[in-house]
Amino acid sequence: MIMNQRTRIAITGIGLVTPVGNDRESTWKSLQEGRPGPGPITTFDASGFTTRIGSEVKNFDFDSVGPRKLLKQASRCHHFALAAAEEAFVDAGIRPQSATGERWGLAVGAGMMSISLKELDVVHRSCAPDGAFDATRMAAPDYPADPVYFCRTQCNAGLALLALHFGIRGYSTAVHTACASGGQAIGTALKAMRRGLIDKMLVGGFDSMLNPIGLSSFCLLGALSTDNEEPWRASRPFDVTRNGFVLGEGAGFLILERWEEAIARRANIYAELAGDGNSLSCYRITDSPPDGDGPIQAIRQSLASAGLRPEDIDYVNAHGTSTQMNDQSECAALKVVLGEHLPRVSISSTKGCMGHLIAAAGAVEAAVCALAIRDGIAPVSANFQTPDPGNEAVNIVAGQSRRIPIRAALSNSLGFGGSNSCLTFRQP
Amino acid sequence: MSTSPRIAITGSGAVCGAGLNPQTIFDAILEGRSAVGPIHYWDATDWPIQVAAQITGIKDQVLVDDRKLHKSISRTDLFGIYAGDEAIKSSGVPAFRTALPEAEVPGFNDRSGLVVGSGGGSYQVNYDFFPLLSSSKGDMVRFGQELASSVHPMWLLRILPNNVLCHVGIRNHFKGTNACITNQCASGALALAEAAASLKIGEADRIVAVGHDAPIEPEAVLGYHQLGLLSADVLRPFDARRTGTIFGEGAAALALEPLESAQARQATVIGEFLGSGAVSEATGIVQLRADGDGPARAIALALADAGISPDEVGMIVAHGNGTPNSDASEAAAILRMFGDKAPPVTAFKWATGHTLAAAGTLDTVLALEALNREAVPGIPTLHQVDPSFAALPVSREIRPPRSGIALIICRGFGGMNVALLVRGSTGS
Repeated sequence: MIMNQRTRIAITGIGLVTPVGNDRESTWKSLQEGRPGPGPITTFDASGFTTRIGSEVKNFDFDSVGPRKLLKQASRCHHFALAAAEEAFVDAGIRPQSATGERWGLAVGAGMMSISLKELDVVHRSCAPDGAFDATRMAAPDYPADPVYFCRTQCNAGLALLALHFGIRGYSTAVHTACASGGQAIGTALKAMRRGLIDKMLVGGFDSMLNPIGLSSFCLLGALSTDNEEPWRASRPFDVTRNGFVLGEGAGFLILERWEEAIARRANIYAELAGDGNSLSCYRITDSPPDGDGPIQAIRQSLASAGLRPEDIDYVNAHGTSTQMNDQSECAALKVVLGEHLPRVSISSTKGCMGHLIAAAGAVEAAVCALAIRDGIAPVSANFQTPDPGNEAVNIVAGQSRRIPIRAALSNSLGFGGSNSCLTFRQP
Repeated sequence: MSTSPRIAITGSGAVCGAGLNPQTIFDAILEGRSAVGPIHYWDATDWPIQVAAQITGIKDQVLVDDRKLHKSISRTDLFGIYAGDEAIKSSGVPAFRTALPEAEVPGFNDRSGLVVGSGGGSYQVNYDFFPLLSSSKGDMVRFGQELASSVHPMWLLRILPNNVLCHVGIRNHFKGTNACITNQCASGALALAEAAASLKIGEADRIVAVGHDAPIEPEAVLGYHQLGLLSADVLRPFDARRTGTIFGEGAAALALEPLESAQARQATVIGEFLGSGAVSEATGIVQLRADGDGPARAIALALADAGISPDEVGMIVAHGNGTPNSDASEAAAILRMFGDKAPPVTAFKWATGHTLAAAGTLDTVLALEALNREAVPGIPTLHQVDPSFAALPVSREIRPPRSGIALIICRGFGGMNVALLVRGSTGS
């Protein structure tokens, strides 16, 4: 087994479907300009909810992302995944063939099992018209059982559809650590590549909880911003007035290749995926420790995995959800790890613009880091104006994006359940 | 070349319908006792499927002592937390940590990792919305308005797929590298593979792998039944008259650490993790290849990873889920890889039921029991080996393993296949 910690991994393809653009370059342009994704929820009538805004993918052509037979089994976020993955393959200019499929791997950060309200209502009307579930009715001959719905709701359905559609037959895995999922999937992919399990990999994340059940779950927890009148500034990571996150949806995918192989075929290399670190906060299920314990270890491990030091970092794409607790904890962690270098390092959360893509967030933001390195642009942390007292030295990219050389960048993803992921990217 | 450490297994834990610890479960299997019985979670009188291997007669607080925690987790989490705690306890790590100088404890915890294979979610958690669906009568505005008075505010937290990761971490202060894998039935086996990989690259000093699932619920039973995957009476692995699988529930866990470190702290070593292989058949959500391509390639990769030849394998714990297609293609793969020199083959699901995401972990825990007692259990529900693979060395009788090494095969939806190799403690 090849066990080279420093095997270099190149990012040679990127595909994105986000609330601010249905492809890579339009998303990246919106993020640079700080064009906001959030608005009133349009996919269902959310007017009775405490939060009525969300960051939706707009004008997406659901029918064109794959053959009809495949799409029958695909949920909303699987469509985003298929589109983003296709864009990444086209961008990389290489994809699995029948002879090479075994040497391609797949790792995804997948959202929670999601059942649409329409699907749930079928069960409700048949088995629980008065609210109490009666299993006997489900076994009745007239119960409208739908095997396709059953398949679509399997926890690895998205993974299975991607593997089938693109012919990926090597190492394949799906991870779910809530909001850290996308970052952890990419970390898992990096490790699999370094272990020599496969030569190339499709890796990313996809999610959509912008449906009545998903919105309900976060409304109940009080985790969402209720700035319904001003959706464009509802997500304001690191701003002292922040009051919750804005629920988004989308997908992001990367193509990973061994460095030498990417060079040999003269591939366009965005950045090196250089390091992965992850830790468990062991604190509370929804909160990250105020002192940054947990995220600190993940960031340090990621730097060590990349063979870099804090002074090598020019940009951090923060998790920055715009919740009180997350942003405080993350600032505390960045202060500790970056130390004297803190004032020099540009930090932004693109969630200010894009909203929170949950299981897709880490993957989309990894792509943002690669694009930031390519163009030498630290994208704006939208809607940030005033820091928390004591966080004045945290160098948030306020007002507008910055043109700076980015030698290396970090991407943090911190999830419910206490999983913390940090990825390190380097200029090629 | 590889300088990676040998990986010792120093602790295990398991719970399923057949018992509350690995020894008891294995005793039941050796004695030919199956935990399959009538479903009693709901009135299944009129159901086409009325059997499952349920965990019965065990109070929740026997599994997890913290009663407060019961309110914020699901049934599957109870099993996973129990198995994880048991593996950690039996590894002797907590006792060893207690004896450390206080200053070393935080670093020790940061180097203690956790990888969990999770079933990913259940259908019935969504039924908490039924009273709201009834009272709002299809009116989305009312749905939103009445949400907070109808559904528990912490609803989302109870159903997080990564709850076991979070709570085993908190309860045991395991704060290091971590992941929660949601790849359907392959989850638990992949968790073990990832755990070992993390140790090999030095990402942690010890790591616990858990698999857990609780699929026995009406919608899941109906869904599997509609796909023709369930037996209505008996699970008969590799039998000519096999008709399908039967659901089980439970969890299993193994504690891993480098052999050198286990020996240094004089831990009881119950086995060694030798290698793994994982592939996808890229066949979609529920289809699989008839030729056994996936399991065959997974076995080849695992053998290469472990650096051993097929004739060194002493026994095989097959996936043997009892469905016509899976057993036939798995038998084809085994015969292709081992020819006429296959070691004794057995399978455990006739006794434990198919515990889905937990299956790969549970089968590995039981494989170690078999190696250490030098007894490959028979399959009492086997009456006539399917003539299309008559050469497969399965038996009703208990046989000695050919060597101290076991191969464990794990298969799942999405065309996922994982092979694991372990050595027992008696095999040097």
